[in-house]
Amino acid sequence: MTQYVLAVVLGLLFGVGTFLVLRRDVVRVVWGVSILSQAANVYLVTMGGLEGSVPVFAEHGHAETVTDPLVQALVLTAIVIGFGTTAFALALTYRVYQTHGTIDTTDLGGEAQ
Amino acid sequence: MTEQIVIAPLVVALVAAVLTLGTKYWPRLQRAVSVAGSLAYLAVVAVLFETVRTGGILTYQLSDWDAPFGISVVADSLSAFMLVLAGVVSLVALVFAATYVDEFGQRLSFHPLFHFMMVGVSGSFLTGDIFNLFVWFEVMLMSSYVLVVFYSGAEHTEAALQYVVLNLVGSAIMLLSIGGLYAVTGTLNMADLSRRLADPAAYGVDPAPVLGLSAILFAVFALKAGIVPFHWWVPAAYRAAPAPVSAVLAGVVKKVGVYAIIRLYFTVFSVASFGGLGLPGFAGDSLLAFYGPVLFLMAIASIFLGGFGAIDRDNLDDLLAYSSIGQVGFIVLPLAIGATATGTVPGTGGTTIRTLAITAALIYTVNHGLAKGGLFLVSGAIFEAVGSIEFDDLGGLSERAPVLSVGFLVAALALVGVPPLSGFFGKFLVFDTAAQALAVDAPGARLALVVALAGAILTIAYVTRAWNRGFWGPPSEAVDDAYSPRGQIAVALLLVVAVVAVGIGFDPVYEAASEAARAALDTEGYRDAVLFLGGGLA
Repeated sequence: MTQYVLAVVLGLLFGVGTFLVLRRDVVRVVWGVSILSQAANVYLVTMGGLEGSVPVFAEHGHAETVTDPLVQALVLTAIVIGFGTTAFALALTYRVYQTHGTIDTTDLGGEAQ
Repeated sequence: MTEQIVIAPLVVALVAAVLTLGTKYWPRLQRAVSVAGSLAYLAVVAVLFETVRTGGILTYQLSDWDAPFGISVVADSLSAFMLVLAGVVSLVALVFAATYVDEFGQRLSFHPLFHFMMVGVSGSFLTGDIFNLFVWFEVMLMSSYVLVVFYSGAEHTEAALQYVVLNLVGSAIMLLSIGGLYAVTGTLNMADLSRRLADPAAYGVDPAPVLGLSAILFAVFALKAGIVPFHWWVPAAYRAAPAPVSAVLAGVVKKVGVYAIIRLYFTVFSVASFGGLGLPGFAGDSLLAFYGPVLFLMAIASIFLGGFGAIDRDNLDDLLAYSSIGQVGFIVLPLAIGATATGTVPGTGGTTIRTLAITAALIYTVNHGLAKGGLFLVSGAIFEAVGSIEFDDLGGLSERAPVLSVGFLVAALALVGVPPLSGFFGKFLVFDTAAQALAVDAPGARLALVVALAGAILTIAYVTRAWNRGFWGPPSEAVDDAYSPRGQIAVALLLVVAVVAVGIGFDPVYEAASEAARAALDTEGYRDAVLFLGGGLA
């Protein structure tokens, strides 16, 4: 059951992320990118398998009953990186607003010429 | 002790970054530390190169966790070769930047960012773990974002926004494919990955999903390398970044994508075989057989789009950026032949066409790194001298700035491929690869020859146009008022001298490149060095 729920959630997240990336408003684009990378993180967690329920300690559990902890470590790394890049992207958005007076991508493209 | 030399480039660049961050209130000291750091980086990289050349593949297991459980750092001939190129180009660019980037910018962030970028570049060249590769990419990209938006004017923020969003989407996609590869193969270590893919039944690996996942990953690398159809961020970003940064972006950072393609697809994924696609044009059941036609299409598109795009630019940096797209096509073209053609080159005692192809790609990489790096620095010096790099404002530079013009001419001729410059050997080996493939009747070889020829003609066309509009004719008003930034010209000429030197003393470079190509194709050797030397798995 969990698999189906997660599959649907992942699909929704990627859908929403893609939709936002294609918006004209730069802030929404940044949110979209941020959602896409979070969706990738959720996807990564599911790659470790969903059956395990036992904590990973030396005394506990065997290969069958624990969830692969490696992907969770990967996701932690990816979250930290995503945090930094999102902060930068938002700061950049503000700078775009300062220099252009707009954060509409259509207007931005017009000014470049 | 020899083991530690593997991570030395990373440590040196990181220390330089931290020290330049700490000395920002003493600008002269900061500049000295920064240049010293870059010199030390080149020295360490040279030592690493020599150690690998005499002693074979070196590995360093982080915290002594045996591969494949820990993170492996691996230096083989291919990594060392790329690192030396990075060391040379980045040192020259940094010295150039010390006089080019304004005082405030240097104090603010330039030096630490530059070194952090080199940390990322070194890490990407050295890592033996695909997730770790993602992390180093991010380190490299994060610094390059800030360097692209460095001047933070209107056009810079816009270019950076494009660059950042594109690469963030790329990173999310890279994570997806890495996660998928881990789920399918159960490992992240490149050596272990190749072992499992070589014998999928023994490890319960289904090779079919690997094809799709590796294709997703390939898109990310192509984005980094700026290959068509993932090229469109290139011109804006190169124009926005300060000239020395563009030199490093084109000369080094772009090559990280090329390196990743060679390392992962030719060393690791090449061992996998799946049932075959059954589509016309995709012969064979090796994973590389799928990438052959794909690489062909991308190379051809890059060469033509870059070449035609460069012809009618009215800004020197734009022209160089489009030329970069075309030149990367010339790097990918031999790789495409290498991926399709099997067989050996007659009369060489068993050198495979694939080895020759990778050698050609690497030599072309060196040539492009040095020549294009030099050209971007020349363009920076012109901007400093004249105050513009629009062709409308230029003209007659050869009268006002003869030394600078000679520098441009030599580097531009290297792009064209005139002997005895490094570019001649780059082009020659690309043609040689295509001709040898034609001799064994490899599919697409004839097409490759034609495309390479057409691309070479396009290169001549846009280089000639740049020369005519910028350097010949009567000096324009702006050029007449130009002053001569001697120091910058001298530094830019260093890379031009390197182009000549590589061409004249070509033999050792060729030896190194073919050694690197052999290392790239020696999956067994790579696997053994990473997995068994740690003393863990038998």
